[in-house]
Amino acid sequence: MTPELYSSLSLILPELIITVGALALLMIGVYSGERANNTVTGLAVAVLLAGGAWLVLFGGSGQAFNGAFVADPFAKLMKILMLIGSIVTLIVSVGFAKAEKFDKFEYPVLILLATVGMMLMISANNMMTLYLGLELQSLALYVVAAFNRESARSTEAGLKYFVLGALSSGMLLYGISLVYGYTGHVGFQQIAAALSGSERQLGLVFGLVFVLAGVAFKISAVPFHMWTPDVYEGAPTPVTTFFASAPKMAAMALMVRVTMTAFEPISSDWRQIVVFISVASMLLGSFAAIGQRNIKRLMAYSSIGHVGFALVGLAANSEAGVQGVIIYMLIYLAMTLGTFAFILAMRRKDGNVEQISDLAGLATTNPVMATILTILMFSLAGIPPLAGFWAKWYVFLAAINANLYGLAVIGVLASVVGAYYYLRVIKIMWFDEPVGGFVPMAGELRLVLGVSGAFILFYVLIAGPIGRVAEAAAKTFF
Amino acid sequence: MNGDVLLILIVVLPFVGSVLAATFRPNARNSEAWLAGGVALACLILAAIAYPAIVEHGAIRSESEWLPTLGLNFTLRMDGFAWLFSVLVSGFGFLVVLYARYYMSPHDPVPRFFAFLLAFMGAMLGMVISGNLVLLVIFWELTSIFSFLLIGYWHHNAGARDGARMALTITGIGGLGLLVGVLLIGHIVGSYDLDRVLAAGDQIREHDLYVPALILILLGTLTKSAQFPFHFWLPNAMAAPTPVSAYLHSATMVKAGVFLMARLWPVLSGTPEWFWIVGFAGMASLLVGAFFAIFQHDLKGLLAYSTISHLGLITMLLSLGSPLGAVAAIFHMINHATFKASLFMAAGIIDHETGTRDMRRLGGLFRYMPITATLAMVASAAMAGVPLLNGFLSKEMFFAEAIETHAKSVLDTSAPYVAVLASAFAVTYSLRFIHTVFFGPKPTGLERQPHEPPFWMRFPIQFLVLACLVVGTIPALTVGPFLHTAVISVLGPNTPFYSLAVWHGFTLPLLMSAVALVAGVVLYLLLNGYLNRSEAGPPFIRRLQAQRIFERVLVVLSWKWARSIEARLGTRRLQPQLRLLVVAAFIAALLPISLDDLSLTSLRISEIDAVFVLIWVSGICCAVSAAYQAKYHRLAALILLGGAGLSTCITFAWFSAPDLALTQLLVEIVTTVLLLLGLRWLPKRIEEEGPKTVSLGTRFRRVRDFGIAVAAGGGVGVLAFVAMTSPVPLETVASYYLEKAYVEGGGKNVVNVILVDFRGFDTLGEVSVLAVVALTVFALLRRFRPAADSIAVPDQQRMQNDFDEAEPDRKVGDTIADYLLVPAVIMQWAFPVIIVLATYLFLRGHDLPGGGFVAGIAMAAAFILQYMAAGTRWVEERLRILPVSWIGLGLLLAALTGMGAWLFGYPFLTTYSQYVELPTVGATPLATALLFDLGVLGIVVGATVLMLIALAHQSTRGLRSARVATEAEQEEA
Repeated sequence: MTPELYSSLSLILPELIITVGALALLMIGVYSGERANNTVTGLAVAVLLAGGAWLVLFGGSGQAFNGAFVADPFAKLMKILMLIGSIVTLIVSVGFAKAEKFDKFEYPVLILLATVGMMLMISANNMMTLYLGLELQSLALYVVAAFNRESARSTEAGLKYFVLGALSSGMLLYGISLVYGYTGHVGFQQIAAALSGSERQLGLVFGLVFVLAGVAFKISAVPFHMWTPDVYEGAPTPVTTFFASAPKMAAMALMVRVTMTAFEPISSDWRQIVVFISVASMLLGSFAAIGQRNIKRLMAYSSIGHVGFALVGLAANSEAGVQGVIIYMLIYLAMTLGTFAFILAMRRKDGNVEQISDLAGLATTNPVMATILTILMFSLAGIPPLAGFWAKWYVFLAAINANLYGLAVIGVLASVVGAYYYLRVIKIMWFDEPVGGFVPMAGELRLVLGVSGAFILFYVLIAGPIGRVAEAAAKTFF
Repeated sequence: MNGDVLLILIVVLPFVGSVLAATFRPNARNSEAWLAGGVALACLILAAIAYPAIVEHGAIRSESEWLPTLGLNFTLRMDGFAWLFSVLVSGFGFLVVLYARYYMSPHDPVPRFFAFLLAFMGAMLGMVISGNLVLLVIFWELTSIFSFLLIGYWHHNAGARDGARMALTITGIGGLGLLVGVLLIGHIVGSYDLDRVLAAGDQIREHDLYVPALILILLGTLTKSAQFPFHFWLPNAMAAPTPVSAYLHSATMVKAGVFLMARLWPVLSGTPEWFWIVGFAGMASLLVGAFFAIFQHDLKGLLAYSTISHLGLITMLLSLGSPLGAVAAIFHMINHATFKASLFMAAGIIDHETGTRDMRRLGGLFRYMPITATLAMVASAAMAGVPLLNGFLSKEMFFAEAIETHAKSVLDTSAPYVAVLASAFAVTYSLRFIHTVFFGPKPTGLERQPHEPPFWMRFPIQFLVLACLVVGTIPALTVGPFLHTAVISVLGPNTPFYSLAVWHGFTLPLLMSAVALVAGVVLYLLLNGYLNRSEAGPPFIRRLQAQRIFERVLVVLSWKWARSIEARLGTRRLQPQLRLLVVAAFIAALLPISLDDLSLTSLRISEIDAVFVLIWVSGICCAVSAAYQAKYHRLAALILLGGAGLSTCITFAWFSAPDLALTQLLVEIVTTVLLLLGLRWLPKRIEEEGPKTVSLGTRFRRVRDFGIAVAAGGGVGVLAFVAMTSPVPLETVASYYLEKAYVEGGGKNVVNVILVDFRGFDTLGEVSVLAVVALTVFALLRRFRPAADSIAVPDQQRMQNDFDEAEPDRKVGDTIADYLLVPAVIMQWAFPVIIVLATYLFLRGHDLPGGGFVAGIAMAAAFILQYMAAGTRWVEERLRILPVSWIGLGLLLAALTGMGAWLFGYPFLTTYSQYVELPTVGATPLATALLFDLGVLGIVVGATVLMLIALAHQSTRGLRSARVATEAEQEEA
């Protein structure tokens, strides 16, 4: 092996571990048949942990494969977040899988493959890697969205996501080819160099628009958000958990990287776009969430809104802004995983329930669950001193320091509206007449809910170190 | 004790107590009270310990690193003003805990109550001693949250729920405004540290962002202190247990707003904006609150409106921007807390003893509870501003300030009159409170006989009323020094001379007090009869309730609008979603053209040939028709798609890319055929139902969608055209390959050289994938069971068979055999020809258009044609194709060729090229890449044919299962 190949391989070793693991698990699943689900899930978690451990302990930095792949502090941090999302998704699926006949070994394998795709997205340093990673992730997601083949809603969700996703992939590819056509390069650094050297061309702006549109679809930012509520509602809840956590991390990382490296010289152009989708996402996410009765749909709109908030940080186009995005995504991950662990625990004797009205009087029937969900909801609403407040704090601060006052004001207005519907959930839990409790929570859900609740509650104590880590990661681009 | 530890203890103790309190048994009233009282007392003592240091140094600080990346430190800072509030919060906390011990019934779950109360106390203490604005906002929001939980404590009561929710909504919104305001202040000053902010007054006032920051901060403070126009949440919050009202709505939470205004008074006040906004809010609250208070029937409602009014008084004093005004404001904060808390507690006792708070049902209670009545009367007198009580002193100061001219304007001129009027109203409602509750006829219809409460329940009131009296008579000796410490910490060197004497001589303020007293009494006498008969609320405008308006607005905004937005934008149907997506992308692409001065300058149309345009027009027509037919006629759509592909092939050929054209052509053919075969097994398309006429709406939708499609497709096309016709950037990979293809790869067909040489490894990967795909398709189709409605023999075949049966001289199947006989024969004859063509394409591939891939597809086409012409059975009886072997051998060959390079010490897949003299053929290029290419050919043929066979076998299997089905039917029959 040439030294170059060797160093490249050592940089992508975490990805390799997970890829090989996924294929091996597929074999194990195929040969041991129906009964293999638990083994495969357990092994999948182990594989993800192994990949993550390698990343944390030995993950180097540098470029691999002639600059197609990059490993840097930003990628490392985002990968860790994303891996947490994947691991927790697998863990919380276990109980659901048993109860809802969801136990097929393909599920963990697909999650692993999607994870590899997302890791590539995060580390993409040219348009080809970007597209390959994105497609690997998307293809796995199309399948898991439709995973419950017995359910019409699930298949519909999968099909919708596929059709819309294919369209957006097409846009992305079209944008990439335009960018290549005008700059002659696919590598991010080379594109940036070509852009800063020449005057701005219209075709290139189109390319930028389409590339961002393709990525915006993946982070479900308005106006490319339409699939989100349907998929969140239709897909089995563990799958929704996955959709809401890991892919958001990866796609947001991708968004940051593309704008901060490849399109850095034309920041005035992309900032307009980012400001627009940020405002639109915040407003739509907040207003449309109010009318929801299904808690998964509510979380879908909430995720749209939160993506809008995170983009406020990106719009600032500053180190503090990127730091804000990272912290926002980190905190959002914790809140989302906690909330979905809760949703998975919304079980009565005759199955899972998903309506917000099913939460009525939970404070009486199950005060601990109600208290943690209250903390989560207050945090999602951004009420201090919970973690969600700090997330917003960082991005708004970055926006104000970048003189984006209008954006900050709209953001605050949107969070006021948002607070209203989170408050409604709290009110229903604490003040409405009880409609019957849930069955006791499974151990793994307890763990996830407890950890995320504690993280959110005590974030204020560990905010310093986390801020420093995020700062180091944000320095990658400056 | 060290200042650091002391301050941290003051903040932490209540929270620790809160957590502890939550763990007690539900009915542990006594231990809860001991715990909570102990915590409150401990905080009070800690504050007392801190006092000498504060007098000496001005302030004590505690600073620890917290969020260094944001420049935020966990700073606590207690100066005189903060000290005063700490004492109020912890002292009143103690009294309220004592009161609550007796107030809460044994059935109430007290752990929750005391836990929330202690947490609230902690938040409030944290708020007042924050040395950092961000920290302050955090504690501020915590007070909102815990007040929400406290107000909603009796959640079985719908009023409590709505009241709690409204309180949180209003104060929460205000809190967010405050947060942004603080952010702006931090942005202006460059620090959130309170000391630095307080020192940067001029900088803040002169900054462009002063007005937005001011408005946002005032949004926070005015909502918190229930000032007009945000006052309406306070009366609704009266559904809370009375200890909560006594604590939150007299001494602490509502005071937070005025506290912060006083805190930031040195940096924010003194500008016209401050004067107008704060002054207007204060004056309106003062008057409106007092006026509304008169017309309340609920005891606590009266007190709530009175609170609004008194806070309005404080706000107005702060608005003036004069130091003396600030002194009076701070003084009144203390006084109001004292008398209002005692009145709330008295109201609670009355409620507790009689079971009602409705003043129309109460009366003559003096004979049942003389001590409580006396105490309440003294406190009411203080509220009305009767001399020798503390309320009088601060009111005198207020009058004195109201007379002064501060900023010449309507607001300033009207101040004295408004002040007197509001004071008269205050006298009226205080009088009403005393008169209707304690005097007059005995109450009727009470659930139980009222009597004096237990001593310790009354004790807090006694204590507070005593304070009212003592402060009212000897202010300078009691509250004087503490007030002075507080005032100095706010005003610093600007502290004016002020006198706390009871008697200032016959002055204008005294006259105003007298007028207000007399007018108030007269007004009460006039209104007395009316009040006892009327419904609650002031005449005429009682229908105009701010809270109703608020709720209406909330419903419209948050429910109706939200739902309609969702209904409009959040469709669940895929079609509109797609439409929105395409339109959004189209607009996004259009915007740069309209917004910027950019234009499509590089669009060059002049060099275009008419024939070429014609080809493209037909290609576009094919594509559009394919889209149009996709729903109604799949076969036609597929064929049209092939037509569109064909025009692409010609385009490639036109632009001198014969190899691409060839590849594209063959790929088109093979995919079309495979799709055609697959089409057979799709379920039937849905037949159009109903009348053929199309409604206008549908017609419009179709035209619109057509327009969108044309616009988006055209846009994409134009963009691509422009991109492709624009000058090529200097450095591309293309030039590299063009240069090196012959020199290093030994071939002139650059594409082929790239495939088999430069990027040989990629090609190996690709063909492997192709092989895997073919195997997968085969495996999947082997298990595929066609849908029921597509199993049956197709209409056409059935008709042909019927015809055969009808004709005596024909056997069934004859027509099918005859069908397309001539083309079939030609196709059979073409087989060897195509094989030769494929070989030719393969061999010349290195230098001319062709190559393994193209040859493979051509050869596969030969097999496909055989299947099409004669049917599966006929072909398979005569021709043994082993596609899996083709694939395997191809892969093996490609891999072995690659490995062959190792034998000569080169890396994997290094090629060697050489021309060899062949007899009769002449010089022929012979590279090792050719062997690799042969492998590719094998895989392509194998893969394509394998998929074909998998599809073709469906027809035999389908027929078989159909036969089984009919047989089963016949048996049944």
